[in-house]
Amino acid sequence: MSADRPEISYEQAREELVEVVRKLEAGGTTLEESLALWERGEELAATCQHWLDGARERLAKAQAAHEEKPN
Amino acid sequence: MALETSPDAPAAVRTIANGIASWINQLGAVWVEGQLTDVSIGRGTTTVFGTLRDTDADISLRFTCNRRVFEAVDPPVTDGSRVVVNAKPNFFARRGTLALAVNEIRHVGIGELLARIERLKQLLAAEGLFAAYRKKKLPFLPHTIGLICGRDSAAERDVLENAKRRWPAVAFRIEYASVQGPAAAGEVMTALRKLDGDDSVEVIVIARGGGSLEDLLPFSDEGLIRAVSQAKTPIVSAIGHEPDSPLLDLVADLRASTPTDAAKRIVPDVREELDGVRQLRERGLRAITSWLDRETHALAAIRSRPSLAAPVTDLQRRSDEIAALIERNRRTLTHRLDRASDDITHRLASVRALSPKATLERGYSVLQLADGTAVREVTQVAAGDLLQARVTDGRFAVEVKSEENT
Repeated sequence: MSADRPEISYEQAREELVEVVRKLEAGGTTLEESLALWERGEELAATCQHWLDGARERLAKAQAAHEEKPN
Repeated sequence: MALETSPDAPAAVRTIANGIASWINQLGAVWVEGQLTDVSIGRGTTTVFGTLRDTDADISLRFTCNRRVFEAVDPPVTDGSRVVVNAKPNFFARRGTLALAVNEIRHVGIGELLARIERLKQLLAAEGLFAAYRKKKLPFLPHTIGLICGRDSAAERDVLENAKRRWPAVAFRIEYASVQGPAAAGEVMTALRKLDGDDSVEVIVIARGGGSLEDLLPFSDEGLIRAVSQAKTPIVSAIGHEPDSPLLDLVADLRASTPTDAAKRIVPDVREELDGVRQLRERGLRAITSWLDRETHALAAIRSRPSLAAPVTDLQRRSDEIAALIERNRRTLTHRLDRASDDITHRLASVRALSPKATLERGYSVLQLADGTAVREVTQVAAGDLLQARVTDGRFAVEVKSEENT
């Protein structure tokens, strides 16, 4: 699961993830399709997580920098 | 009156001077408007000397006036007064100077001044000098503020103090200029040129405390107004004044009511701004944090959905399905076998019920021909036929002795 450099935006990843889950839940897919969907879902979830973690990290860094040197 | 002269036959100075004098003295008296400057009234002298300055151009003429005439003007005229004089050009041969000999002095009336300012205003407005689209936007926090004001004036102090109170690090470049009297417009223009040429100066304030209409005339000077309209730096007019505002207010990019007001308008309040920045920063942080939280929760919710979190359940479901089918398959087969076996039992019973065994047990026996056919009628046998007799536990041979129909 290479999530080091996500190529799609957070919003795209999340939107696709929701769609993947919807399809999985709706059923009616072949086993092979289900497996592919699930793998894609895991990948997308990791991408989203990566974005969010990155954002939090940047936020924390910026805050720390600001608190070190007020004004 | 052509005068023949040559290096060998030069004319005397008096001849030339008298010639000029007589030529100039032929000129009649005229009405002239100008501004009085350098007026000197010597103690005990009867003649007043001074300069009559053009109101716009840097051109002036000396004048002389009888002291009685000068002092008869009411209200008294002084340096800087705008006047209309009746004067005759006069050449003073003794010193070779030209002066206007003033016979009569009148103030340029206040009403007249206002009317002129009004006319000038109409003219400049028609040219579009006051148009809103020409107004330049003031920088939010100017790098250096150019200030034009009188030396040691209250206006200077007001601008500096108020600006520094709001933003201590604010920088000024100050050019002093007279802010009233005949030289004012020119000096202000010179100062303006200097400051406008300085790239670090990002806004220029022209400041002066309040004054009478006449005091403020330089700030309605056509030359100054045009210079301001052409300046590339935004200009703030900060002239404290009475109801009649000088034209500078109209042409300036921003009009402040007083020098203090100007300071407030050109420099933001540092505490207020820092506060604003802090608040915005906090709001931004709150917004981004709550967004992150919301998204993180949403993602966690999606990830914990069974279809993603426990894909095994899907497999389980499928394998359950298979197990159920196997079970059903098995059950179906068993069922069928059972039914078949029941059927057999049933049929066996039927077979048993139909078999002659029970009858045989009751003592009957069945006679059969050699081919196995049961004997039902006499006609089937003849004497001497060998028959088989069937009883419960086996058979034995019997011989027909005779036949007889009953």
